[in-house]
Amino acid sequence: MQLVLEQLNKDYRGKPAALRGVNLSLGSGVLGLLGPNGAGKSTLMRILATITRATGGRVLWNGMDIAKNPDSLRAVLGYLPQDFGVYPNLSAVEFLEYLAAVKGIAAGAARKRIAELLELVNLTDAAKRPLGGYSGGMRQRVGIAQALLNDPQLLIVDEPTAGLDPEERVRFRNLLSELSGERIVILSTHIVSDIEAVASSIAVLAQGQLLAHGSPEQLLAGVNGKIWEVIVPSGEVSALRQRFLVSSTAHRADGVHVRVVSAAAPASSARPLEPSLEDAYLATLAVQRDRDKRAVA
Amino acid sequence: MSALHSLLAVARSDFRERTRRYSFLLTLLFAVFLGYATATGKVLLQLEEYRGIYTSGWIGTLVALVITCFVSLVGFYIVKNAVERDRMTGVGQILAASTLSKPAYTFGKFLSNFAVLSSMVGVLAVAALIMQFVAAEDPNVNYWALLSPFLLLALPTMALTAVIAPCFETIPLLRGGFGNVAWFFVWVFGLSTPFFSGKHWLDPLGLITVVDSLSAEAKKAIPGYHGGLAFQIQIGQKISVAENLRWAGISWDVPSVLLRVAWLAFACALALFASLIFDRFDSYKSAVAPHSPSTVAVAQLGSASPVNFPLAKPVHLTPLVASDRAASFFRQLRAELRLALQGFGWWWYAVAAAFVIAEAAAPLSASYGIILGFAWIWPVLIWSAMGSRESRFAMRPVLFSSSRIVPFQILVCWSAGFIVALLTGAGTLARLVIAGRAQGLLAFLAGAVFIPSLALALGVVSESSKFFEGLYALLWYIGPMNHTPGLDYTGAADGAHGLSFAVKYFAIAAACLGAACAFRARQLRGN
Repeated sequence: MQLVLEQLNKDYRGKPAALRGVNLSLGSGVLGLLGPNGAGKSTLMRILATITRATGGRVLWNGMDIAKNPDSLRAVLGYLPQDFGVYPNLSAVEFLEYLAAVKGIAAGAARKRIAELLELVNLTDAAKRPLGGYSGGMRQRVGIAQALLNDPQLLIVDEPTAGLDPEERVRFRNLLSELSGERIVILSTHIVSDIEAVASSIAVLAQGQLLAHGSPEQLLAGVNGKIWEVIVPSGEVSALRQRFLVSSTAHRADGVHVRVVSAAAPASSARPLEPSLEDAYLATLAVQRDRDKRAVA
Repeated sequence: MSALHSLLAVARSDFRERTRRYSFLLTLLFAVFLGYATATGKVLLQLEEYRGIYTSGWIGTLVALVITCFVSLVGFYIVKNAVERDRMTGVGQILAASTLSKPAYTFGKFLSNFAVLSSMVGVLAVAALIMQFVAAEDPNVNYWALLSPFLLLALPTMALTAVIAPCFETIPLLRGGFGNVAWFFVWVFGLSTPFFSGKHWLDPLGLITVVDSLSAEAKKAIPGYHGGLAFQIQIGQKISVAENLRWAGISWDVPSVLLRVAWLAFACALALFASLIFDRFDSYKSAVAPHSPSTVAVAQLGSASPVNFPLAKPVHLTPLVASDRAASFFRQLRAELRLALQGFGWWWYAVAAAFVIAEAAAPLSASYGIILGFAWIWPVLIWSAMGSRESRFAMRPVLFSSSRIVPFQILVCWSAGFIVALLTGAGTLARLVIAGRAQGLLAFLAGAVFIPSLALALGVVSESSKFFEGLYALLWYIGPMNHTPGLDYTGAADGAHGLSFAVKYFAIAAACLGAACAFRARQLRGN
């Protein structure tokens, strides 16, 4: 199974392009999609989910253009949108039975699958209650269950852990890892630790452009030897931020521990640290911002 | 001062939001269409078989009556979403957490609605002025006679429509489809009450003022005129111009002006009343079960041992094989029917069953007439949800990423609506079969096909249920209730012409279904 994006563009009239020449080739595994707000992540997800059409380029699912033949992908697609609703008068079982029928799953297989999915998302006890009475986290879990209903080969999940409590979040991350063996999973989130935990490859989008794509190791290698910790009095943090990319700060008894991304040591007292994915992500964005500034100048 | 500022901010932002939507342009185009229809004689103010010369007074009153009688009905459906939009977008939650008072909110929404409807009044006032020049029957333009009906007849009526919409939106029972249908009956009540009661102060639309003023003048100018006055759509009736009738317009005296101002004040008072019942977006349902107490002990601050989550449930998902992926029309139909019928209490089914029993037990003329008419208004909320349910419940992304939506899911959805029509009309259907009334049976089936087709088309195109609810209530009143041939979609009023009725209605249904498929395919293609 293969998903290929070729020179994908999406323009909206009178607005900056949402996607600009995105090229990607994906095999089975989890792709973590990272990017700031407005980077084009949701637009990309909607195009891949056949909800929105690209204005340029094409998406090939096993060699077939999904714009020309969307049903070829839809039959094996699981999609959890960022904002989705439920029918409030249906119970979780009834809601999933309805979607199973829409997705063309045989009745017997659907019943079994729904029971398994409800157990998986920890909703068996609430399965017969109307969805209108569910909390936000419970609805999100119903959304996860519906995305897995048709045993999808391509699973697209947009901010799937939003609204989940820590236990459910970890459970969902484990689930994604388990599922990724035999399918393509595209996970978009702002929570870098979610991606760190499950992604076999990472793509960074900003302003509609693909800034980086590779394995977590490749991304981390890019900032290897460039992460430093400096301990400064709290009054000096601001000055440090002016000069360097600061990825985090922590107040401790001996001062503020500042995590800095820099090619050279920011101070003689700086000590090198192991890079995290968050450092690599911030550094990628910073490089792009720097390029843009220079281009404008 | 701060409350006034907040109120105006609500009104202004809501008005801006609406006027920047494509639908606002359509609203103004609708006003232009009404102006055009009036100017070209499609709408008439008729004194038995006469009309007066198109003076400023006549034209101003005629166009103002178009507003009070038509726009007052339709305008409700145009503006009834101001509170709902805040509820759906989540803006309401932000407003609820602010210092904005409930009266400022409801009054602000009323003002915004009033501004939207007033813009239609403005368009039609300009149309009236143009109409006098185009008609050229009276070269003298009397601006007061031309514009005072807009000011004193149309605007107070628009204020009432503008305030009733948020009132309905604040009452849970009237917030949804039931309210959309109920509005039609409220409107009919408002239209007919002054004539039944004969009381000026019970005339929200100002119709008695027009009738009194115009008929007094007409009696002087038209020999043999008995006082009949009709405001209607031109459907081929014979009409002559009474050359002696140069009506100067409504003679506004102080009591009649005060009465119109009183309706405006009543609208303002209703806006404040709505604030008393407005829930301030507190939609918490007591049905939500409290979370079961956590079995995980709360970790103490600084505790060395972290909280241990019971995470290790293994994943057991049985893979689907090819034979599991088999589309079934009937399985999906069953799911669609269940979706359509969910949410109604036992009493709803009891009333539907009572209609079916009445259809079977009553004489055929009543069964295939008034009883079927009532039986086919009862499921209006089931039909009105067709095609728009996905948008209402934000299910479009999930549904549209599934395969075979067009035409498969559309046809399944339509079939569910058709079955509802057959089931609620089952008694009449059986009676027609037993009586061997082939033409009646065909007309009945055409009606049963027509209703879900119209509902689906309007639902898909408008992505809302309210347009079908409003139009269907109007059609139901004119057709089955008033037994109007051609418009009685049950086919009962067409009697012996059942075949031609059926052909027409099957054709309309096919066009509606085609439109629904085309629009849904367009929606699926995205933008």
